Amino acid sequence: MGKIKIKIDYSICGDGNKIDPRDCTICLKVCDPAIFLLHQSIKYQKEDDPYDPKIWRVTPVYPSLCILCMKCVEQCPENAIKIRN
Amino acid sequence: MCDHCLKHGTAGKWYLNAKLYSEELAKELDLKEFMLEQYKTFEAMQVRNFGGFSAVGMGYKMQLPIISRIVKYTAEKMLHTEKPSRNPFKAEGHIGQVVPLDDAIAILETCVPEDSLIMKYCMCRYMHKGEKEACCINFGIMSEIIDKLPRFIPEPEDSKYRLTKEEAIEKFTEFNKKGYIGTIWYGAYPYINNLCACQTPMCAGFRPRTEFGIKSIFKAEYVVENNPNNCQGCKKCITMCQFGAIDFDEKAKRALIDQSKCYGCGNCLLACRFEALNLVARKEIPALAGNY
Repeated sequence: MGKIKIKIDYSICGDGNKIDPRDCTICLKVCDPAIFLLHQSIKYQKEDDPYDPKIWRVTPVYPSLCILCMKCVEQCPENAIKIRN
Repeated sequence: MCDHCLKHGTAGKWYLNAKLYSEELAKELDLKEFMLEQYKTFEAMQVRNFGGFSAVGMGYKMQLPIISRIVKYTAEKMLHTEKPSRNPFKAEGHIGQVVPLDDAIAILETCVPEDSLIMKYCMCRYMHKGEKEACCINFGIMSEIIDKLPRFIPEPEDSKYRLTKEEAIEKFTEFNKKGYIGTIWYGAYPYINNLCACQTPMCAGFRPRTEFGIKSIFKAEYVVENNPNNCQGCKKCITMCQFGAIDFDEKAKRALIDQSKCYGCGNCLLACRFEALNLVARKEIPALAGNY
């Protein structure tokens, strides 16, 4: 089996765009192997409030553990996740 | 007992040395600034590049023959470092060990400095699952800097956030009964500042070890042993084990324990109604001695 590639469209979700992943967290919650990581966008760190950062994004940090259940793709309200096997 | 405990421990265990919890040590190492810097963007630690590697796509890196060894070596060197020079954006010297309930109570009762116990939201559950659950017990410096980090402070309906020793022990016992694993962590070596109640697969401390074989956490000083005469085959302990170390023998109708997989957290003991399970010291079992 090839590498699983999970792409999140950051122009829709995270990085201070349309959706703040901290309000949604649907993909994080439906993922049983918990492969996603919700974290501060490092790029914007300096301009941000350092102790309570406001700009966050979701990164698929362990794609190798993905079981291709596709729950995150189906349940993402903005269709921002794409998985390619 | 490994060299580490001989060097730091009393009673053969590094985490029962009250010196490692003391304010003087934290002052000496100037850890307040360091930890503020670290916890500011703690969640982003896994996506940062260090030594050419980040944790992103770790599973695929570990499948490559030579690179996997380099990754493992680099990660373990970083986590196990005892050097004082530090970078707050790295998990340098951030190593922990599983502690069963009795040891955790001993830590809370004897080692932790007075009036500095707090409860905060677990970062691992938040960053991997989006769930806010107040189950990390912190002490020492963390109680001074938590006010600057509002996202870790539990809402009043979730939990009180400044705790007394008795409350902390009560809370921790509650977590253990839920099946969470007690772990004690160096905030940055050699200062100890948190006692977590972890759960796989969310725990960022367990995951490198359970999935990729990187020693990011040590197994406890104990392993579980089954007394076949008492075991009634109720299977309650099997659901408690997060590491798949307990199996069921259909013929003999009793639980079988794979001690090489056992982390020694002792949660299965809390599920057993027949006193069939007990913890024995790891060093007493020749094949497991030193296998932390």
